[in-house]
Amino acid sequence: MSANRPTQPQALLVFPHLRVQNANAISSPLTHGFPSITAFTGLMWALERKLAQAGTPLHLLKVGVVCHAHDEQVVDGYVKTFRLTRNPVDQHGNTAAIVEEGRIHLDITLVFAVAQASAAVPLAQAADDREQDLARRIADVLATLRIAGGTVLPSRKVPGRRTRPWLALLPEDAEAQAVAFKQWRRQWLPGYVLVGRDDLLATRLAHLRQTQPEATLLDAWLHAARFNHTPMPVAEGAAAPGDGKVRWVDPLRGKGTGWTVPIPVGYAALRDKPYSPGEVAHARDSTTPVTFVESVYSLGEWISPHRLQSVHALLWHADTDSTRGLYRCRSGYVPPAGVDASALDDEEPDFD
Amino acid sequence: MESNEQPTARSQRIRRVMQTHIARRLARALEKWEGKNDALARQEVAKAHEKYQLAQILAKGVKANAMTVATHTAKGIHPDLRIKDVTNLAIRFEELKTLNEVGSHLLNSRESLADTTGDGAYNAAAYELYLLLDCRIDGSTLGELLQADDPDAIDTLSTYSANPAAIASDLLRLLESKCTKPATHAREKQVYWLTGNDPSNDGQYHILVPLYPASLVHQAYLQIHPTRYGEDNHAARKARRDGKAHQGVYQEYRGWAVQKLGGTKPQNISHLNSERRGENYLLASLPPHAWQSSQRYLPVNAKSVFDRSFGARPAVRTTVKAFLAFLLTNPEPNRHTRQAVDDFLDSLVDEVVIYAGELQSQPAGWSLEERYADLALPEKLWLDPERAEWPDEAAFAQDWSRMDWPEQVGKRFANWLNAQLQGKLPVGDAEARDWRRVLLANESWLFAGAAA
Repeated sequence: MSANRPTQPQALLVFPHLRVQNANAISSPLTHGFPSITAFTGLMWALERKLAQAGTPLHLLKVGVVCHAHDEQVVDGYVKTFRLTRNPVDQHGNTAAIVEEGRIHLDITLVFAVAQASAAVPLAQAADDREQDLARRIADVLATLRIAGGTVLPSRKVPGRRTRPWLALLPEDAEAQAVAFKQWRRQWLPGYVLVGRDDLLATRLAHLRQTQPEATLLDAWLHAARFNHTPMPVAEGAAAPGDGKVRWVDPLRGKGTGWTVPIPVGYAALRDKPYSPGEVAHARDSTTPVTFVESVYSLGEWISPHRLQSVHALLWHADTDSTRGLYRCRSGYVPPAGVDASALDDEEPDFD
Repeated sequence: MESNEQPTARSQRIRRVMQTHIARRLARALEKWEGKNDALARQEVAKAHEKYQLAQILAKGVKANAMTVATHTAKGIHPDLRIKDVTNLAIRFEELKTLNEVGSHLLNSRESLADTTGDGAYNAAAYELYLLLDCRIDGSTLGELLQADDPDAIDTLSTYSANPAAIASDLLRLLESKCTKPATHAREKQVYWLTGNDPSNDGQYHILVPLYPASLVHQAYLQIHPTRYGEDNHAARKARRDGKAHQGVYQEYRGWAVQKLGGTKPQNISHLNSERRGENYLLASLPPHAWQSSQRYLPVNAKSVFDRSFGARPAVRTTVKAFLAFLLTNPEPNRHTRQAVDDFLDSLVDEVVIYAGELQSQPAGWSLEERYADLALPEKLWLDPERAEWPDEAAFAQDWSRMDWPEQVGKRFANWLNAQLQGKLPVGDAEARDWRRVLLANESWLFAGAAA
């Protein structure tokens, strides 16, 4: 069955404005805030399994996430700290060890690229259905799953906000697809889509190495994750500012550079081969190979949907490279060849 | 190594390496008390001199040998996981595959970056012993030499024990894995990862058990922490605030958080964690707040958002400017022009939708405030839709459901745009839009009766 599984998405399945409560905000040992993108590929697999069990087989190939609103449960300060829940005592009445958990409430739109799995669940017909019965049934299944450890709250019908799940065929013709995408992406405003920016990590490393040949990818990642405010000398011939103050800017975060963030993108194995099923004690089952891994990191960008030209730009898929022991999510985003800064906002949104 | 070197001479050399190492550790410990001569400083200095003695390190190290050395720990994931029950790993970083992603493969094993974990009380002693055993002599570590029963290396211990071979094997226990069989735990994170392409096929998964990358985290910490407390960064921060010239950069991690590991007993996690006082920095991956509207663009005392606030938005201004410039070139009325006009219009409509989204996310009923009294009703209906749900807003709700407002808002937008474009917009282009579909994001509410 998996041999003739389609690899090309045929339709888009969209769950607008899901309200997720208490999702996991500690996405890795080095990042916090938005849950890891691996949580969404994991959700996609779980959903496909559930659908198959529910007699609604559908292939889910890729996933995208638009974040409309977020409310991380933190205490603000120069450095944020997590607001903790009090946990019940253990069976002997002792306080349980505190494991700090970060939580976040989210308002997100989930987008899945799907393909038909069975003639019994015809996509073309489901897309035509004005009642969007299939999408609604899938939404019911989705509501039973955890999203990044958080629970999906029932969506309330609110005037002026689209919350109804829908499914639409993806036109094969590129031009028709672009036209359709323009309509779709407007529904996701205001919001931000997470896309992968591995290219920026490589660029940052090359930039650092011009002055520090020993710079590592970790240096580059941290350098790109922060602001490096630098005092700017007044350009030759230009008038000094009237207030006599020196302007400080991050030369690599100028106009149109986008909202770049450090993100975990998956896992890397810590030994050459996975352990055979049953070899690792207390694994979740004894029929699946087990690998000890660590999180690996790259850069991502949050970009407004109306800046995207193709639906593929917002979709992520999971990729396993067994020779390198790399289990990671890859983004379909292709950075524009030459960034036309004039086409972007001339004002970046304020942080916080 | 000189081949004709006498064993005793080589043994002397190994001793020197060990002594140099300990002297370096002592110097580091004394660094922070330099120039201070208060009671606490004197006490700490005395303590350091006592601690950084080879005999002390060995004596305490032997007691701490039930701990383990690790680059990847389980206790960083959950403090209850005991080192004899679950796998902790001491990885040689060079043996990891080189990746384009950030990970432990970037670290260097020669730099003694591992951590010690186990019973919290013995962490520091175990760590000192680890550092000692990781000292390099001709390319091998002291630990490796002892493991290979190198007589010169063992001889260095004869000063401290009548039976140096026995004490060597005792010390080496620190380097052993205390969990003899690979093991994970229900309290560890275990992730099912689909390696094939059929999620319904149980045979296509791997279970991934992420361990805490103690060494990598510490290396990141060493770079991040000084931006919080370091004097250089403080000076740079102040200079930036005051708009002054400055040698150097102000580094700022925005939105970062600190995660406490181990609560009040960070030593229960690992030694490096206790060096960090249990404070682990997490960098923010969050998106901007999309719905937060800037106060600047609220239609205060205005009849219409199109009077001033919408057009003042930078993205709108930029697009209108480009649109007008394009129209002023008197482009041929062909397909290409049509497409260009359409694209400009589309961008502006997108901006309308973003702007509306921001206003709509204000608390419902905001349009009732006195300062919005002048705002035209169709715009109130459009921008404050949830007000229609209020019990005493039946008239508002009725106006809303009559659905005249989308056309009216569309007309207002078209008028505004025509004025911006000095009447150059081909007639009817903006009016002809299906404003109901554009502005009424919510067909599910409309069809509530049918689709619920």
